[in-house]
Amino acid sequence: MEKEIKIITKNWGQINPNQIADYIAVGGYISLEKFIKEMTPALALEEIKLSGLCGRGGAGFPTGMKLESVQKEKSKEKYFICNLDESEPGTYKDRSIVDCDPHMLLEGIIIEALIVGACKAFIYVNGNYQKQIAILERVVGQAQEKNFLGEKILGSKYNLEIEIFVGAGAYICGEETALINSIEGNRGEPKLRPPFPTQVGLFGKPTAVNNAETIANIPWIIARGGKKYATIGSKKSPGTKLFIINGSVKNPAVFEAPLGTKLSTLIDEYAGGVQKGKEFWFAQVGGSSGRLVLKKDLNMKLEYDREAKVSLGSGAILVIDKTVDIHELLLSWMSFFRRESCGKCVPCREGTFRLWEIAKRLQDGEISERDVIAIKDILWTLNNTTFCPLGKFAATAFGDAINNFQKEIYRLSK
Amino acid sequence: MNIKINKKEYAAKDGETIFVACLRNGIKIPTLCGTKNSHEGVCRICVVENNGRLITSCNTKISEGMEIVTESENISKARRINLELLWADHAGKCVTCKKNQKCELQNLATEQKIENFHFIPRKEELTDRENLDLLKDNRTRVVVDEGNACISRTTELCVECRRCINVCPTKELSFNHRAGDVVVGTPYEKPLDCIFCGQCVKDCPTGALTDKNDLLEIIGQLNDLKKMAVALIDPAIMDSVAFEQEEITSQRKLIATLQSLGFEKVFDLGFGMELALEKMTQVVKNSTKNNLMLSHCPSFNLFIEKYYPQFRKNIIDVTHPDELMAEFIKTEYAKKEKINPEDLMVVSISSCVAKKTPVKSSSPSEISKGGEAYFTGQAGSPMAKFDGVKNLDYVITVRELGWIIRQQKIKFEDIGNADFNSGLAVKNEKIKDIIKAGKTAEMIAEKLKVKYIVADGVPQIKNILRDLDKGRVETKIIEAMVCDGGCVNGGGQARQI
Ligand SMILES: Cc1cc2nc3c(=O)[nH]c(=O)nc-3n(C[C@H](O)[C@H](O)[C@H](O)COP(=O)(O)O)c2cc1C
Ligand code: SF4
Ligand code: SF4
Ligand code: SF4
Ligand code: FES
Repeated sequence: MEKEIKIITKNWGQINPNQIADYIAVGGYISLEKFIKEMTPALALEEIKLSGLCGRGGAGFPTGMKLESVQKEKSKEKYFICNLDESEPGTYKDRSIVDCDPHMLLEGIIIEALIVGACKAFIYVNGNYQKQIAILERVVGQAQEKNFLGEKILGSKYNLEIEIFVGAGAYICGEETALINSIEGNRGEPKLRPPFPTQVGLFGKPTAVNNAETIANIPWIIARGGKKYATIGSKKSPGTKLFIINGSVKNPAVFEAPLGTKLSTLIDEYAGGVQKGKEFWFAQVGGSSGRLVLKKDLNMKLEYDREAKVSLGSGAILVIDKTVDIHELLLSWMSFFRRESCGKCVPCREGTFRLWEIAKRLQDGEISERDVIAIKDILWTLNNTTFCPLGKFAATAFGDAINNFQKEIYRLSK
Repeated sequence: MNIKINKKEYAAKDGETIFVACLRNGIKIPTLCGTKNSHEGVCRICVVENNGRLITSCNTKISEGMEIVTESENISKARRINLELLWADHAGKCVTCKKNQKCELQNLATEQKIENFHFIPRKEELTDRENLDLLKDNRTRVVVDEGNACISRTTELCVECRRCINVCPTKELSFNHRAGDVVVGTPYEKPLDCIFCGQCVKDCPTGALTDKNDLLEIIGQLNDLKKMAVALIDPAIMDSVAFEQEEITSQRKLIATLQSLGFEKVFDLGFGMELALEKMTQVVKNSTKNNLMLSHCPSFNLFIEKYYPQFRKNIIDVTHPDELMAEFIKTEYAKKEKINPEDLMVVSISSCVAKKTPVKSSSPSEISKGGEAYFTGQAGSPMAKFDGVKNLDYVITVRELGWIIRQQKIKFEDIGNADFNSGLAVKNEKIKDIIKAGKTAEMIAEKLKVKYIVADGVPQIKNILRDLDKGRVETKIIEAMVCDGGCVNGGGQARQI
């Protein structure tokens, strides 16, 4: 294994996450102090742009650019939102951040909110994360007491209020415009864009939404500089990433590894390889919306790259061995999307419903010629005509499976 | 700004959508969920290609450098698949559906030449035993609502286009549940209890929302030799009847059509409007109070009952023209013509859905409980006596008239022109425009030399009522009509596509 670089997990297991003093003792809130005493929002933004940090919520959008567009907006009322909806099956990295080092996340939120000039920051938490909600409430209180939050932060002119907003745990509410709808009290479904939230966001005001993991990188960047951060990981997307490795591996867990690490390294070295007596079949990279990677492609580097065939998504890796029933897998994916589609647009609402029906028939081995054509049609329309990316997500793994494992899925003899 | 549509250069206006730019230049793109006022982008039927990528034309604004293609293999494919999926989200019961031949879903399927339906309708009872076993847990729950006097709802035929949600001025309807389980309906699936303006029925592309009536019963009475059928024509419907039935190009043609349907007498509702105007003028003249509200829009009366009950007493107690005229017909006219009122069936063909609510209901919630007539019997009310005879037997909308015409297979080649029957003539032809366009208050005010305010559409009405509530305005009469622009845009009119 390469020399370990730890940014996000450096305090995990080392400090008591419930004690703000513990976090301060290991250099916590130094970045906030540095930002307040030595920097301007413009300077801090410069560091983030230099770092090359890009979003860890799935799309990999450059964080500096996003913050810049909100910072530029003239509005008096702006918002910053930490996206902690995390409802991708098998993904629990953001939850782990809250469990192990919540103050680091909070410090990141405060700095980013001040950079964009937000009057208020929201933490949008998945409603199933009851324990994490309690932790967040506690740490926000602690930070308030220390005046890292609230009015005239550390004696400066900055004010910031943080609200923990508990969502209902819908997958679509992780999508930023649906998330905004949800906070506004509307139905949790995506909004048309443009306009983008950076211009017309929460309550119609400029809003920056970042994933929790993205935010957790900020204190490090402010403390040590963007240039230094840019040397870590891959050229295209610097830094480290939390990978959640599940399935038929020896040690399923969350690991922090530099971006650009090979998939085989993650599976074999970080997660201890495939379980004894089992044979690797394929891996799904990026959660339930992720693509399937076969043995021959295990050498691929995992990084955020718009051109890459396999998108990293949230960083979840599911390792599937040959004993797994592909039909069960297909049905579990489609049960998820058939439930989590918001129901707004026709191809996704109806398409996921029909694919789920067909997946049940596939499991029972009762599929007809009509279904085979329907699968192709639905995957196509999901890929090309849905309102938001969820439709495409629903088609990704299912489509890869149909393309690669026809024989098994259709129970063909050859 | 210049854009290319189908390889030709066009000048487009800043801020307009691709759909509008195309339409302005004579290129029609099929739509389902999009209407003039809302573009939610949910049906994905209006897709076009921009530089090779599929985008929805109804809600994408044009921008410099766009190269739009409106017909291609991929576009047809997208429309076909999405329509097939949508078709199966709907119980294909065309033969018995009130919207048959007038259904936009049906039309789209025909236009797009959908021949092969891959999916089994998920909202329909299945008869095929094999499919039933296979799919019994794949049925979607259907919500049927017959709990009011005006509108029938069944989600069996709903394609979740949201037009009704977007058009409703009081936001009664919503998108409930998620994914394949979505149901468009009322919160907690309570029976619809609204102001019954009917705009949602007008906008619904399918038969999910329809006018409530027992049309077969009406046809039965039309064919009944003992019955004398009388039709009242609301002048406002002349603006839309041709959209329902293109052969009806004039009022005289309409009268002849009604006669061939079995209406022995056809009268102009203008007569009833004059009655109403007279009575309202009288009430206003005799009242010392200010801020009197004219009462000929039943939706407005319901709106007050439901949302601003503090103004209940401001509404003057005169019912709508249709009812007044029907009362006149069943009493004085019947007496004069020596007809037994019980043998009369008076049908008003109306631009209004709310007129189906029984006259002078005690409260909107009672209306929503059933179709029975309730009379308040308030002292001094012209409607106080309820002698058991229903004056106005039916109110049918333009859409329902169309349905009856189609059902009766009227042959328009054989239909000529005819005039109104004599006996209940309108004194002043101008009355028709006055009432349908909301100028009643103006007319009364001129006569009595008093001040007045007019409002149409719920937003305007709310503004005025808020001002009244705060004591910011003081006037003699207020005329309010719930539908934007008054009865010409009433909920009972045919939709102009
Ligand atoms: C269907 C869908 C679900 C999403 N779920 C999440 C989520 O649970 N958490 C998250 O951070 N981002 C999620 N996203 C991405 C967000 O829309 C958004 O891009 C992200 O929060 C931006 O933060 P980042 O730039 O830090 O990645 C989702 C996107 C889509 C389309
Ligand atoms: S693709 Fe359509 S139905 Fe699916 S989640 Fe997005 S907007 Fe909702
Ligand atoms: S009748 Fe009018 S008020 Fe009632 S639901 Fe339809 S649009 Fe809304
Ligand atoms: S009831 Fe009609 S208008 Fe409303 S969503 Fe359903 S199909 Fe559309
Ligand atoms: S009309 Fe454009 S998406 Fe429905």
